[in-house]
Amino acid sequence: MLDHHVHPTDEELLLAADGELSNHRARQLNRHLADCWECRARVTELEATIAGFMRAHRQTAKLQLPAITGSQALLAARLNELASSPPGNARSFVRWRASRLNISIAIGGVFCVAFTLIAALAIRSYRFTTHVASSTLVPYLEQGATPNPNLTPGATHTVSVNDVCSMEHEQVVGQVSLSLRQQVLKEYGITQAHPSEYEIDYLIAPGLGGTEDIHNLWPEPYTSPTWNAYAKDALEEHLHHLVCAGKLDITTAQRDIATDWIAAYKKYFHTENPLPARSPRPILHSTKYSS
Amino acid sequence: MYVSFTGSVGEMPYPIRVVTTGSAKPSEIESQVLVLFEQFHDPILRYTISFGISIQDAEEIAQEVFLALFRHLQAGKSQANLRGWIFRVAHNLALKQRISNHKLHTSLDQETITIDTYLDSSPDPEEQVFFAQRQNRLLAVVNALPETDQQCLRLRAEGLRYREIAAVLGISLGSVSISLTRSLARLNRAEGR
Repeated sequence: MLDHHVHPTDEELLLAADGELSNHRARQLNRHLADCWECRARVTELEATIAGFMRAHRQTAKLQLPAITGSQALLAARLNELASSPPGNARSFVRWRASRLNISIAIGGVFCVAFTLIAALAIRSYRFTTHVASSTLVPYLEQGATPNPNLTPGATHTVSVNDVCSMEHEQVVGQVSLSLRQQVLKEYGITQAHPSEYEIDYLIAPGLGGTEDIHNLWPEPYTSPTWNAYAKDALEEHLHHLVCAGKLDITTAQRDIATDWIAAYKKYFHTENPLPARSPRPILHSTKYSS
Repeated sequence: MYVSFTGSVGEMPYPIRVVTTGSAKPSEIESQVLVLFEQFHDPILRYTISFGISIQDAEEIAQEVFLALFRHLQAGKSQANLRGWIFRVAHNLALKQRISNHKLHTSLDQETITIDTYLDSSPDPEEQVFFAQRQNRLLAVVNALPETDQQCLRLRAEGLRYREIAAVLGISLGSVSISLTRSLARLNRAEGR
């Protein structure tokens, strides 16, 4: 049986430091330390080692850590947006960004992942008739925030409203593979992308049944002054909410966002311009392309 | 003698602010989340960059963590041990980010991030050099430890208690204890003790 005459192990000393020993054993240990110079020296050594590591740990990181000011302001803006989303949206709210979306989880449990060819074709043909087909790869940033309909007509899979509405944000955090992101940029003729310029975004968000397919992904410039990824995210969230609230048919939502998401924004938010809070999205590394 | 390591570098463990329970207004939750963000921003960044991810990714992870925290609190979920919750979510996101980056843990190249002497305000140049050398030696030893051991040590350095570390890493309390003892023994040896 342990008593205060027994030298404590290093493990016990560390446990004691964290208050993880039983009261009885902690009392014994402290009595022992009062009597035992050698063990007190060990405690001092352990303390010095831990202190040394903690200093090194913090000072090393200090070389790299940015000031908190910018990121705190960004978080405040995002929280404000989140808080102002319609009631009941919080639990099912899904911030769909391509780079953070693990589609295998998003559709986990959902039946087979076959494209609904009919829906896709319908969307494609609709888009073809409503857009001037511009296959020329003019400097993409100058085109603004809309994808090339030939390259990105949108792609969906069979999914029920219950499926998309039961997704939890935490379950869908993931990322589009690097190779797919590279394919998307290559498809758009973007060979030298600065990491801060683009987000590889879904045209039809997974929260509306969109899939991780090259036909549903496009490089969305961060730098668009008005209709940017930030506004599109807001639209995705809004449509997702409307679908889950039973106020909008999912097929209609898919078609509207795929056809012209800016027009859809104006239609569903009843505005000609992005809402005041929808400022240009700051550069977020996680969603960027990096070669 | 009272055994206490927690204040050994003059920084107390992070207190967890009490967050309003029940039907708190979004604005209240927002401000509380921002307070917690201020409190945990640096610790979360320090911890997540140790996974070998970039500082930009770490910043984005911190954002995700606190947006998730907002939803967590807004949904009226458990507020027990929010510090552990915050680090657990950050840990999981950092793991996913690392996998997606196709980078190895060692890619951070912590070995190349050395403590320069100018960081130390000590007036004695020799002392400064000695101090920096010692810290670099410690970091080299830590970087050579098994990953779980490193994570235990870093979480401990951020002030987490054993049971919190166990919850973050999904290992037992005993494993945390063994890991930290082993790591500190190695660090002690490196210090020539």
